[in-house]
Amino acid sequence: MKALIRIVFVAAVALGLSATLNARPWWLRGADTNENDFLPPDVAFQVGSRIDGNLIRVRWVIADGYYLYRKRMEVIAESPDLMLSKPSFPQGKMKTDPYLGTQEIFTQQVEGTVVFARSDFGAHPLQIKVTYQGCAEAGLCYPPITKVLLPGSGVPLPQARPHLWEGAAILGGALAFLLAGLLLRKGRRLDDTPLS
Amino acid sequence: MNDRALRVAGASLVAAVALWAGVRLFFVHPMGQSVAGIGPIPVPTDDTPIPGEGAGAEWERVGPLPQVPERLPPFTLADRAGKPRSIAEWQDKSLIINFWATWCAPCRHEIPLLQSLAAEWGGRGMQVVGIAVDHRPEVLQYADELKISYPLLIGEQDAMDVAGELGFESPVFPFTVFTDRRGEVVTLFVGELHKAQADLILSVVQNLNENQLQLPQARRSIADGLRGLAPQNRG
Repeated sequence: MKALIRIVFVAAVALGLSATLNARPWWLRGADTNENDFLPPDVAFQVGSRIDGNLIRVRWVIADGYYLYRKRMEVIAESPDLMLSKPSFPQGKMKTDPYLGTQEIFTQQVEGTVVFARSDFGAHPLQIKVTYQGCAEAGLCYPPITKVLLPGSGVPLPQARPHLWEGAAILGGALAFLLAGLLLRKGRRLDDTPLS
Repeated sequence: MNDRALRVAGASLVAAVALWAGVRLFFVHPMGQSVAGIGPIPVPTDDTPIPGEGAGAEWERVGPLPQVPERLPPFTLADRAGKPRSIAEWQDKSLIINFWATWCAPCRHEIPLLQSLAAEWGGRGMQVVGIAVDHRPEVLQYADELKISYPLLIGEQDAMDVAGELGFESPVFPFTVFTDRRGEVVTLFVGELHKAQADLILSVVQNLNENQLQLPQARRSIADGLRGLAPQNRG
């Protein structure tokens, strides 16, 4: 039993440390666990929007290993009385491809903002049309996707899931802590005498 | 049961839960859903296991796969000159039908390989046909730039419809359909194709064309062969 506890303890510490330091344990480094799968477009790229004052925020949550091209992201008015500014995006990453040149891309999550004005407020539901196109690092691309969104519908913006290894780090650390406690208590008996 | 046994049982329970959660975190896809494999999509045959039953575990793992037809469906698309061309024009040949688009980097990567496959395998009854799902002017410009010598068919919604007939309602690009000389779909490969993979598939198709193999054996042989290719040899 003692040997088993030690093995589990060491494994838990290794899991916690590798997850924290490398975001991937050593035995999976260099291997892509999902290289043989691709996601449906709406899972690879989730999009939502909401009104924030005179702005419309459009957020894309991008799955790990996937990316969107900046120059293929558009936000245009769908409601007839709606006027939108050009969307503003944060600086993305530059990706250089020998056949496609250098392109600005977004990974993980990106939020664009547009200033809006309405000439006939309330006559029509506020609708925008977003277009985006992206690929998977594994070597495939999705055709451009166009969606009509209702920023005023109250649907919350999509949220990025916490990184896979954050959970593993927490679990590994908690397990290591528990087992360390067990080992340190070995051979000691609880003293039930109440404190005075 | 004494305190020590209780502590060990409690610790074991916590460890088991942590291990289960850890395994879930490791192996469940980041977004919790996978659809299909990059690589060959199985073509259903009489001995294909039914999804969700017994040996169909792999089907369950990858979820709903495109329903690839047994035979290449007939279709007609415009060529580079705008003239409608039926795929039946090449009916006596084994086809390597590559679906691509100019906005797709991995599709662009494949074109030199397809050019070399056309040269290398063209004399052995194989024909490369590119299907560009894209705007015509961009395709023509890029095809001229790369001096693409194999036949190109070009379409937008009509080409998407062809992809749909091959089982892809929401296609991803590139993908490549390999048929034998009888027009049966041998395999449908999703993602960027590399030389080692192409050579493996085409060798099997050649054996199939020479009646050294039956179609189900050929499909199995391709699937096993591609799985067996070491990652460094896929490229």
